[in-house]
Amino acid sequence: MKRRNYVLRKVVFAFFTLLAVLVFNFFLFRVLPGDPVRLIIHSPRMTREAQERIRIQFGLDRPVWFDAEALREGDLARAVDTQFTAYVRNLLRGNLGISFASRRDVSDMLVERAWRTVVLVLGGDVIAIVFGMALGLIAAWRRGTRLDTTILLAALFSWALPTFFLGIILLILARGHLPVGGMATPGLKPEDGLTYWLDVGKHLILPTLTMGIVYTSEYILIMRSGVMEVLAEDYILTAKAKGLSTLRVLRDHALKNAMLPMVTMIALTFGYTVGGAIQVETVFSWPGLGRLMYEAVEKRDYPVLQGIFLLLAVSVILANLLADLLYAVLDPRVKGN
Amino acid sequence: MKKSWLYVSLALVVILATLLAACGPQPTTPTEEGTAPPPEEDEPVTLRVGTTYIWDTANPTFGWYNYTLRYLLYDTLVEEAGISDFVPGLAEEWEVSDDGLVWTFKIREGVTFHDGTPCTAEDVAWSLNWTIENEIETFSFYLYNFQEVVALDDTTLQVTLSEPVGNMEYLLMYVWILPRSVWGEMSYDEIMEFEDMAAGIGTGPYKLVEWVEGEYLIIEANEDYWRGAPAIDRIVWQEFATEDAAVQALIAGEIDAIAADTIPTTAVQTLEAAANIEVAVMESTTIDELIINSHENGTQPESLWDPAVRLAIAYAIDKRQIVNVAYLGFAEPATVIVPSSLGDWHNSDIEDIPFDPEAGARVLEEAGYVDSDNDGIREDADGNPLEYRLYATEGASNARILEIISDGLAQVGISAPPTLMDEDSLIGLYPAFDFDMVYWGWGLDPDPDFAMLIFTCDQREEGGWSDSGYCDEAFEEMYFEQAVTVDHEARRQIIWEMQEKLFEDRPYIVLTYANTIQAYRSDRFTDFGLEAGDILWKASILPAHAVE
Repeated sequence: MKRRNYVLRKVVFAFFTLLAVLVFNFFLFRVLPGDPVRLIIHSPRMTREAQERIRIQFGLDRPVWFDAEALREGDLARAVDTQFTAYVRNLLRGNLGISFASRRDVSDMLVERAWRTVVLVLGGDVIAIVFGMALGLIAAWRRGTRLDTTILLAALFSWALPTFFLGIILLILARGHLPVGGMATPGLKPEDGLTYWLDVGKHLILPTLTMGIVYTSEYILIMRSGVMEVLAEDYILTAKAKGLSTLRVLRDHALKNAMLPMVTMIALTFGYTVGGAIQVETVFSWPGLGRLMYEAVEKRDYPVLQGIFLLLAVSVILANLLADLLYAVLDPRVKGN
Repeated sequence: MKKSWLYVSLALVVILATLLAACGPQPTTPTEEGTAPPPEEDEPVTLRVGTTYIWDTANPTFGWYNYTLRYLLYDTLVEEAGISDFVPGLAEEWEVSDDGLVWTFKIREGVTFHDGTPCTAEDVAWSLNWTIENEIETFSFYLYNFQEVVALDDTTLQVTLSEPVGNMEYLLMYVWILPRSVWGEMSYDEIMEFEDMAAGIGTGPYKLVEWVEGEYLIIEANEDYWRGAPAIDRIVWQEFATEDAAVQALIAGEIDAIAADTIPTTAVQTLEAAANIEVAVMESTTIDELIINSHENGTQPESLWDPAVRLAIAYAIDKRQIVNVAYLGFAEPATVIVPSSLGDWHNSDIEDIPFDPEAGARVLEEAGYVDSDNDGIREDADGNPLEYRLYATEGASNARILEIISDGLAQVGISAPPTLMDEDSLIGLYPAFDFDMVYWGWGLDPDPDFAMLIFTCDQREEGGWSDSGYCDEAFEEMYFEQAVTVDHEARRQIIWEMQEKLFEDRPYIVLTYANTIQAYRSDRFTDFGLEAGDILWKASILPAHAVE
């Protein structure tokens, strides 16, 4: 019963967070200075009529929030026919508007870029989770030894390295052996099958390595402290006293309990997948969402930015919700309060 | 099983990584840096270009990026062979009636669009009229003056203007001739939403083949191009997220050339030292200036109107140091608004105010600005200190430039602490002209008209392009006179006078004329033209060819 309450509360909370983000996301781009039409129109001698045509095309001829004048006249339908209601209506239909720059559908652009980011980030995430947990576990078990010190120092060092710096260093080191940037050699397409994917694989090595190194260190540090805390518990001593093997103590007693903070970490890692790759995508010219966001900022392409922000927020909220729900399954202590 | 999950996944990752590294297709890039891959028989000659942004859309009616690329797809009646050097394009020759109103063009015979449809005078007339009727954003305004466009026969085009223009060649250089077969049946909305690669169909030397947004774009030689098929069969534009990555790719031999405005000045030394790379330093039309608020309703202090104060500011700016610090020497100290790259439009008679803080201080002293309270800042007769707001957009180089300006001003007794702000906030100050001085830079058209237009009074209205707020009756008169003066020499004289007027009134203190830096693999390609300030410009790339 109590657990059901917990789940319900988390879901409701996530839902309202999402609503707040939707509203905030709309106004964030309306409080910025300047007439958006000026961002779309570049021509100095464009006539007023032509400017108006573009204003209508982008729905900017309507009031932003609500039409006070129409409300006074009692025309409720017109009063709420605003940019905000259009935004909500379109959102519900999955329509994120059209880009100022390319005039393409923002949803299409996001879908195109999202799978590329996922391809990029998955490898790095898997490396980080596997290596990070393994090394963190070893360091905690061999606490105080030279091995532990080495792992700890290496982890602290690589964690302190800015991602873009590490990326640029790797890029220069591998220059001539691995491609400098991009997702595939220009001209190759997914239709080319294996040739394409092997080429993508070659392009993936450097960015994956960069992300892997940076994220691994984070996992090592959290895993190490988590396991160390658990190892100090009485039940570990009991397990050892029972004569269980090292492996069994670690696997059945230590690891399971140390997994709780890791679950949060992993969920968050996936939640931030979309936005977390901006630096890596920028260094390695990877055509994913991070690059799209970077370019949209440079071009002040607000509809695209709005779409990406929404996607970011939704994925973080969902990942958090997932972590909360997993907690309920993994940790019997998580109940009502 | 359960015991070994950790080891299994570890092993899997290692195997996967090794596989990816080992089984990838053999690198098309040379393993040894600085050597070109061996030429293969029957391989098309492919030029690979690195750029930071290919373009926003294939649709030419609202695409604002990469005119260099678009000019390889489309033709214009008049072309630009070098900056401000106009030569015949689809029009072989032209003449103008004595009143300057009727222009007759002889259109080249036998030209076809990429889809095989012919491009006669009739088609050119249709394209121009279509551009005017639909108010095509990117280029209709160059035709603002066109009253009637008709084809008299297959090779004769007649244009009637509402009033004479002094820069017909320049205006026509911007208007691409597009095929009726693609655009003819579309409504305005359909034109604006057209995304198909057919949008790239023109009569130019290259055909648009493929574009993957964010990755690459491929164009291929048009065998039927009226000048003959170009020597380079294929051009691949590859997008890099940073300028540095493009530079690294050039050094590694993954690309053969870098697009304009893509090489940071800090990378030039590295590139010059690298084997088989040629760095091209060319003139450009980019200027940097200090804008001084000249709007009568602006929020600047009264003293900023005083010509003596403006002269002292000019004396206080060390343009040479700005060139060295911000451009590492790849620019020239500037005088007037029209840069020297625009040929004889640039008023070369004007001698610049030298960097001389002492002279600046003297000017202020004589005009009655003295430091009465010994705080290092001079005051006017009413005791108001000479304190100004000095703005620029964020950026490391801008920060250094503002410091140089601010330090110089301090030496003449003017306080102007540097403030960096984000571009939107800076632009947000414009409607109310709520600033004193702004450091800014932009690129001019190859004709001086637009550079002069922005100093006319109308441009201060909403939607205008005035950034100084300048408005002067005598200047205004000259502007409208040059606009309708067809004779080059007569127009040049007016343009020179206008530059002198601006130089003396100082709504702008022009600081630098920047260079364009590009680089290419000299072991693979050669003979690029340099006059247009871009080695990938149509006139520059047509003479280029692969190294034998």
